[in-house]
Amino acid sequence: MSMDSIIKIKDLHFSYDGPKILENIQIDIQRNEFIGMVGPNGSGKTTLLKIIMGVLTPDKGTIEVLGKPPFQSVKEIGYMPQLTPFSRDFPISVEEVVLMGRLGKTSSIGFFNKDDKRAAEKSMDDVEILELRKRAIGSLSGGQLQRVLIARALTCEPKIMILDEPTANVDMKIEKDIFDLLKQLNESVTIIVVTHDIGFISQYIDRVACINRTLICHPTSELTGETIENMYGTHMHMVHHHHEDEKKLS
Amino acid sequence: MSSFFDAVSSQAFMQNAIVGGILASVACGVVGSYVVVKRIGYLAGGIAHSVLGGMGIAYYLGRPPIEGALVAALVFAVILGWVSLRLQQQEDTVIGALWAGGMAIGILFISKSPGYNIDLMSFLFGNILMISSDDLFWIAGLDVLILLIVFLFYKQFLAVSFDEEFARLRGIPVERFYLLFLALVALTVVILIQIVGLILVIALLTLPAAVSGLYVRSLNLMMLLATLLGVVFTTGGLAISYQPDLPPGPTIILVAGAFYLLSLVITRFWKKA
Repeated sequence: MSMDSIIKIKDLHFSYDGPKILENIQIDIQRNEFIGMVGPNGSGKTTLLKIIMGVLTPDKGTIEVLGKPPFQSVKEIGYMPQLTPFSRDFPISVEEVVLMGRLGKTSSIGFFNKDDKRAAEKSMDDVEILELRKRAIGSLSGGQLQRVLIARALTCEPKIMILDEPTANVDMKIEKDIFDLLKQLNESVTIIVVTHDIGFISQYIDRVACINRTLICHPTSELTGETIENMYGTHMHMVHHHHEDEKKLS
Repeated sequence: MSSFFDAVSSQAFMQNAIVGGILASVACGVVGSYVVVKRIGYLAGGIAHSVLGGMGIAYYLGRPPIEGALVAALVFAVILGWVSLRLQQQEDTVIGALWAGGMAIGILFISKSPGYNIDLMSFLFGNILMISSDDLFWIAGLDVLILLIVFLFYKQFLAVSFDEEFARLRGIPVERFYLLFLALVALTVVILIQIVGLILVIALLTLPAAVSGLYVRSLNLMMLLATLLGVVFTTGGLAISYQPDLPPGPTIILVAGAFYLLSLVITRFWKKA
């Protein structure tokens, strides 16, 4: 069983020189799980993702990703950021953006090689943007750009994909397309997706990780019909209660 | 215009000037494109101006100013890079202080050197007509070094200038490449000072790339077109300045500036049409 544990976090605490951002986090994510991560703004979601990717180091506790410390396994993670931090008028084509997912996997000097191009082609094909490969990114629609970023995350042939609100700026139809696509990819890749729309994605995911400084996981079987709406509306409250209970115990 | 061609075919100094312009265009096309897409024109301006400190000290010590320029450009590139990475809040203030401080050091040293005023103008505004064959070897050598580094680390430079956060997550030492890139800017600045002087460097570093960026949608093409435009601007500026005996540096810059404005208008019009 532990062989299939992809991300293992125990008793993790984190703060930026101030109040605790994350407290006593425990989670064990299994191979090929599809995890939805929810929580209000400032709840520590992004911080936890950064710890998983080795950008931040926890104050206390242990974390193993693929059986290694995070900074050693970050190259096996395909990451799709929430906001695009680059400028849309940067002179670069779809293919060149997707190729950048090969960094860390390819040779460190010179240009991208044939293997890189093949991997980029495959991931563009997977997300159905192969015909856009020569287009400048500035000329794409929002939905097309999201696909490009997913393709870039896929090009490193990741074992884990982390997507931070992949459907934040697209309409319902594209949101469904993107999650159908992720569900397909999930056959071979473990996926963590940060989202606000837990009601919609509950049909895709295995577990919901609710974060508000502490973390509670719910299997999706617990989340049906109205209870999803209830939980989504009040889950901050629920986490808060849990936290108080813990204090009483200690 | 025909007297310009006569001069080019018969005078060694004109041939040197043309070749110098072409060699400088390579560095400014390649490095300038990164400066434009990464939007660090102000930082590059800081490096360019603070170089006067190094040139002044070298001049005072009786060494060739280009040696002082090279050392100062690299030192200031590292300092300014460190500042922009660590002190993001006050970045523009600190760049401004180093910019002016470097120039002040240069002026002080030059004023205490014998022969004051003779070379100050050519440091500030360059003199492409004074380029010697030795200078050409310097410029060609720096070109080769810049191209070699850009070819070796093409992927990293592209990644760091496009999306730093993603590059970091793919294991690229982003800060190291940022500093290496600023060192390339420093080398380019030293080359361009020979052509247009340090006051006007920033225009020649950014204008060819900025014009080129209006027309092409790939970084490689942008560099290629910017290099060609650099050749057009330097040669064109030389040709225009020759007959009325205008200073070539400012003429080159005005040619580049006019091209840029014209291109802005044309591309606006084009997009609307």
